[in-house]
Amino acid sequence: MPTPNHWIVTGNFTVDGAVAWRRADGTWSRLIADAALVDEPTAKTVSATAGATEQREICDPYGIEVHFDGTSIDPLTARQRIRANGPTVQLRRPD
Amino acid sequence: MYQYDDYDRRIIIDRAQQFRGQVGRRLSGEITEEEFKPLRLQNGLYMQLHAYMLRVAIPYGLLSATQVRKLAHIARTYDRGYGHLTTRQNIQYNWPKLTDVPAILDELASVEMHAVQTSGNCVRNITSDHFAGVARDELEDPRPYCEILRQWSTFHPEFAHLPRKFKIAVTGAPGEDRAAVRFHDIGLRIVENAAGERGFEVIVGGGLGRTPVIGEVVREFLPKRYFLSYIESILRVYNLHGRRDNKYKARIKILVTALGIDEFRRRVEEDWEASRTPELELPDAEIARVSAFFAPPPYETLPETGRVDGIVLGRDRELGHWVRNNVVAHKIPGYSAVVISVKKPGIPPGDVSDTQLDAIADIADRYSFGHVVVTHTQNLVLPDVKTSELSRLHAELRALDLGEANANKLTDVITCPGLDYCDLANARSIPLSLEIAQRFDRIDYLNDVGDVSIKISGCINACGHHHVGNIGILGIDKRGEEFYQLMLGGSPGNDASIGKILGRALAQDEIVDAVEKVLDRYLVTRESPEERFLETVRRVGFDPFKEAVYGSADPLEAAGDAA
Repeated sequence: MPTPNHWIVTGNFTVDGAVAWRRADGTWSRLIADAALVDEPTAKTVSATAGATEQREICDPYGIEVHFDGTSIDPLTARQRIRANGPTVQLRRPD
Repeated sequence: MYQYDDYDRRIIIDRAQQFRGQVGRRLSGEITEEEFKPLRLQNGLYMQLHAYMLRVAIPYGLLSATQVRKLAHIARTYDRGYGHLTTRQNIQYNWPKLTDVPAILDELASVEMHAVQTSGNCVRNITSDHFAGVARDELEDPRPYCEILRQWSTFHPEFAHLPRKFKIAVTGAPGEDRAAVRFHDIGLRIVENAAGERGFEVIVGGGLGRTPVIGEVVREFLPKRYFLSYIESILRVYNLHGRRDNKYKARIKILVTALGIDEFRRRVEEDWEASRTPELELPDAEIARVSAFFAPPPYETLPETGRVDGIVLGRDRELGHWVRNNVVAHKIPGYSAVVISVKKPGIPPGDVSDTQLDAIADIADRYSFGHVVVTHTQNLVLPDVKTSELSRLHAELRALDLGEANANKLTDVITCPGLDYCDLANARSIPLSLEIAQRFDRIDYLNDVGDVSIKISGCINACGHHHVGNIGILGIDKRGEEFYQLMLGGSPGNDASIGKILGRALAQDEIVDAVEKVLDRYLVTRESPEERFLETVRRVGFDPFKEAVYGSADPLEAAGDAA
């Protein structure tokens, strides 16, 4: 089990429901690698603020705990790993 | 099948136009997600893990070829080239963009379809026997009553905000329940009384989910003319007394269990006596009017060809297996009902591509009077195929990767979308189903094991009906990782039963091995090849299977951390 020592903020884009990850500059990315690493209190504050002021772009932002090994960000739960990487089964047309 | 009148058409077009405006206001920031969420859910639009999901209603599973082509077009144009058949006879798209949904609803409305009653705390899409209208064991076609319920329930103002969702299923086949009526909020079974009159046995309070309950009979015989007024009274009692303080205690099954069936019945009958008025009576003329839409197609007069599983078996084994497993006797001589398996190894169960949908529509036109039925087992049915054309049809289906001979067999697994897609799920379902399909994809083994159902749900909400699988698998979350409980002994039919947990939860790399051990133990435990898996489990109990899976029948050791 990786050591849980970072948090990131995530949500879903309003326009298409795609998974969104919050960058350090306050914009939103579709890649978890772009997510800003923060501590738990910051994740909660940022989520609450974004939920109130950025709801036009992002649905229901919230913080999750992750492991960072210096190179890649790894969510600690199966749910968030699948959100980050997409379905683990074949899609008819990946797009 | 039913054809919309001007009223049906108008309300669906109006609803699509309303939603276009609501989407526009959401995208402009005029309304928040919190405000938008109930509006989108009333139009079948969910937010899942990676995208929105649009669930399209298919009343009692019945589709015309024109509608199937439209579903293919939507999959190709607005989604990722496929749709997913659901366990309530609907179809859902896993990748629509919010900006495209208004256009999708317009497309659906153009073929008399919509996405209402597929979400929210309303009366959901009415389901039925997938062999309705053609089954030999049917007393009467249930689809006219499903359609009457659809018309009555759509946008019914009194029942638009029930304590929780409400599911109704109707069957006309007393001998074999293929609609799982005892596991619905209301189950209706067409029956005859001692005087030979047709009516309904009314079952209430069944359901799966967090608290599985087998429904109880609230009225043994309901004359047809009181069909709507009595159902209104059931819903009224539920609407008034069902819990709204706790969503996990809000289904009608909780109310019926809390009150007891006798007190629940008393309240329904009291309301019914006070509220039923002539306007709510269902006249014979109205039943006849709606029934006319379901008149039999122009069948030819054909000779009975005998048992369909006898044809060509020696000459083409693959065809023979398919006929034996996927072809069902029809009420009209010379015709058969055909199950198209959407359970091919390597493909998520119930996923059907746009090209397959287009081809199925053409096949339905050429072989089955232009009709297709979605089953709650995530397959398709061609209801009216000439038995003499089965061989040619099978060849066409094989070319489309739709010729699997596994209906009702081990690899015909009911599978919810699970954690690959679903926001509610705790664990993945589809990979298990794919592993089962791959491991047991041997037709002789499937036929030897016989009719055994596996049903997989990725969470306690039980969209994969795991409680009523002969073998049920439930995904659970343990500290963020996926585990699975193995259950045995469930059945959705006339011999309804709820499966019980065999022992401690298993890791993902253990669960399919455990299924194989259970099946191996069954094969050496059954009294004869005719004794079905469920019969063996009921006869010998769980101990032999616990011993096979956990190495011990000791209840403490096997139970472990079953919770």
